[in-house]
Amino acid sequence: MRYYFYTIPVGVPFTANGRRSRTSGRASIAISQSRQPLPPAEPSFTDDEALQHIDALYRTALRLTRNPADAEDLVQDTYLRAFRFREQFVAGSNLRAWLFKILSNTAISRFRHTSHDRDNTSLDDIEEAALYPQLANGAARLPESAEEEALGGILDIDVRRALEELPEPFKLVVVLSDVAGFSYKEIADMIEVPLGTVMSRLFRGRRILRRALADYARQSGRVTEESAP
Amino acid sequence: MNCTEVVTLLEQYVDRELSSEEIKEVQAHLDACPPCLTLFHFEASMPRLVHRACNESAPESLKQRILSQRS
Repeated sequence: MRYYFYTIPVGVPFTANGRRSRTSGRASIAISQSRQPLPPAEPSFTDDEALQHIDALYRTALRLTRNPADAEDLVQDTYLRAFRFREQFVAGSNLRAWLFKILSNTAISRFRHTSHDRDNTSLDDIEEAALYPQLANGAARLPESAEEEALGGILDIDVRRALEELPEPFKLVVVLSDVAGFSYKEIADMIEVPLGTVMSRLFRGRRILRRALADYARQSGRVTEESAP
Repeated sequence: MNCTEVVTLLEQYVDRELSSEEIKEVQAHLDACPPCLTLFHFEASMPRLVHRACNESAPESLKQRILSQRS
């Protein structure tokens, strides 16, 4: 459960199981920082250490690309870049966050390359109804109590579908938070946006998800309008 | 903390982004306020569902391909 709290030593970016910590920060993600290269004889991380994170990177890439072939391509590209720029990683800092920063930057770059007709930074100022077709029809919206009921029987495949249909900036933040388990600050450092923007995109992304899932449930007959008080 | 204050902090509480002092205050309120506790469970459900639904493992062939292309 996400609301299980525990003490995390200062300076340790992640807990043993890789979950988020509020103690890690910009210093741990140093891909863009200039520094003296490490001697070649002392690699900052081993291949095995890097490959320990391949499952988390892959499931993140799956949501961002929506298909296994592109996800594999994105993860492979991420690792090849990480190995190529290995000397830029600060030994002892957060390798997992560093790899995810490379993956996020690569994904953002690819998305911008293939999306010519939309300025995604402006999405932060757009109402949710304009972002998600299911929200456009006010009559299709369910009250919160019905949304909660719908979520009780929701299928994993529906969650993945709704997540993949989120607009890109919201999807990236929701995936980095709720799939990969990064903190707000780590995400802000990773995708280089203000902390408040991360929070706004995360909260709005989850609201859009919740309503989309409730809408799936209504369409499938698991929840009816009459079930709402 | 009153209900309004707790509600504004609830998502950050779910995400473990509050200070230890704020956590104590929110926990104390939730212990005493069933409506806010219900809302907390509602807010906590979405990230939990997403985490549960996204649990795929990378194909072994991908790992081998990465290692072979590295060298």
